[in-house]
Amino acid sequence: MDNADEDSLNVLIVEDEVLLAMELSHLIEEAGCRDVGHAMSSDDALDMAARLKPDLALVDVHLQDGPTGIEVARHISIDRGVVALFMTANVRRLPDDFAGACGVIGKPYSEHGVRSALRFLDHCIRDGHAPGLPPAGLQLAPAWAAHWGLNDLPRTA
Amino acid sequence: MQDTTADDPDALVRALAQKTALLHEVDHRVKNNLQLVSSLLLLQARRAVDPAVRDALRSAQARINAVAIVHRRLFQEEDALQFDVAAFLEDMVEDAIGGSGRTDLHARLDLEPAELPAFQAAPLALLVGELLGNCVRHAFPDDRGGVITVTLVREGDQLRIEIADNGVGVATTGANPGAGQTIVKLLCDQLRADCQVADAHPGVQTILRLPLSGAR
Repeated sequence: MDNADEDSLNVLIVEDEVLLAMELSHLIEEAGCRDVGHAMSSDDALDMAARLKPDLALVDVHLQDGPTGIEVARHISIDRGVVALFMTANVRRLPDDFAGACGVIGKPYSEHGVRSALRFLDHCIRDGHAPGLPPAGLQLAPAWAAHWGLNDLPRTA
Repeated sequence: MQDTTADDPDALVRALAQKTALLHEVDHRVKNNLQLVSSLLLLQARRAVDPAVRDALRSAQARINAVAIVHRRLFQEEDALQFDVAAFLEDMVEDAIGGSGRTDLHARLDLEPAELPAFQAAPLALLVGELLGNCVRHAFPDDRGGVITVTLVREGDQLRIEIADNGVGVATTGANPGAGQTIVKLLCDQLRADCQVADAHPGVQTILRLPLSGAR
């Protein structure tokens, strides 16, 4: 198991299902990142993103106050510079521009899928380019794939 | 009521939209609930002190995960009644090897495009999951690295799925006559599949043959 140190990626969990959030927290630590907080509603998410300045936010579409995750992603990625990643069972309902988010992991995800995606994004965010093709289960937004040097990716998950 | 709807195209369109929305809602709930079940088992496994209990919870979680892979795939495709066997096998192998944390195990995939009816997806996932799990857990002990080869071929009205490893062979792989073997046997009956296990020198080769016409 990797240990989070000073340089670890700071990750905010935006998820209204507490048991999923708790298990995600374990997976974040196992991937060598640091869990900095857990928001259950869009207000909490916006507040915590501003206060805690995470590098990455894992965002569920359905939060305590409704399907507000998409606006959360748009706001924190565009206004706060936080890389957002959707985690949702409704992959096909995301807007074409991913609301500024870097991609999506479809639910139900596997622990291995989440850990590999976090390690991959850790590289991307740190180095500014992808270490290779994204792992299975992680679908990147076209704009972010291009930003990290991956062009012409087929849109499959 | 029936007649009004049938005569009114707008009402038909509305009724269809309502049905579609309902289907999406159910799909969404199934996926979220599978996620919840899977995460609960993982949380419980993390807390378990007894290694045997932890292993049991882990294998239960792996079985749920096999079903989850099917559901993630099913409604991503346009056609929810058929499922893409090759894409699903890729996901299964990636998860079985990647999830084991072993960097000395590798996969070789040779998969022809093939589809099966959606109702066979979950039993096939559980069956393949058991066979892959056996490879990963038993074929490569003591840091012995190796390759797991998965082949998918259409042979007339049958699908042949072959799972082979170059590990330590039959004698040590058959050591666990637990739930896994029972699950394999029962699911083969359900899918009307034929399962043959052979010593492959080195390793073990398992060949599944499934009728394409659709068992029930």
